[in-house]
Amino acid sequence: MAAATKLQAFWNHPAGPKTIHFWAPTFKWGISIANIADFSKPPEKISYPQQLAVACTGIVWSRYSMVITPKNWNLFSVNVAMAGTGLYQLSRKIKDDYLSESETEAAVAKR
Amino acid sequence: MASFKAFLNSPVGPKTTHFWGPIANWGFVLAGLVDMKKPPEMISGNMTSAMCVYSALFMRFAWMVQPRNYLLLACHASNETVQLYHLSRWAKFQGYLGQKKDETSTQ
Repeated sequence: MAAATKLQAFWNHPAGPKTIHFWAPTFKWGISIANIADFSKPPEKISYPQQLAVACTGIVWSRYSMVITPKNWNLFSVNVAMAGTGLYQLSRKIKDDYLSESETEAAVAKR
Repeated sequence: MASFKAFLNSPVGPKTTHFWGPIANWGFVLAGLVDMKKPPEMISGNMTSAMCVYSALFMRFAWMVQPRNYLLLACHASNETVQLYHLSRWAKFQGYLGQKKDETSTQ
């Protein structure tokens, strides 16, 4: 009984599934999911500009989602995730570009 | 001068997050433009297709949100264009768009 009314409340919410306020942020999870799928890709293929944009957007939008009308927790959480995956991809690429040089130098020296 | 002042103090102006949120999103457009010179092997099909759907949805979001956000709308319209371009480059490279000369001979 209570579940039915809760479901109704969700269904009719101003940021609920009948509105773009629901679907836009829900789909935004696609960006973080795409990024997670790309965790297994070699770091050479990661794009600095793109991942910087993902990380910065995630951070700024986490704030933005709390001051728009209606307040949007779905949007907030998806942006926290975006910032997280973006920063992780950036760290992978930075590690590969700057912290793996000693390995390649050693390999060259051995020849 | 008066209209500039009005912009500075507007509810979607630079003193508010309604301005800086969309500005951050222009980062995607800039990243897309910078990446145009890169070879198609580097394009992530996952990320680019996700961006295409994302910007389409957010164009609608920008229109419906309170306050209405034209800057965000412009940003996502631009991103949609850039990402669709990258998607076409990726698809062509992957062979999804078919090559007119080869296809006819194998079929």
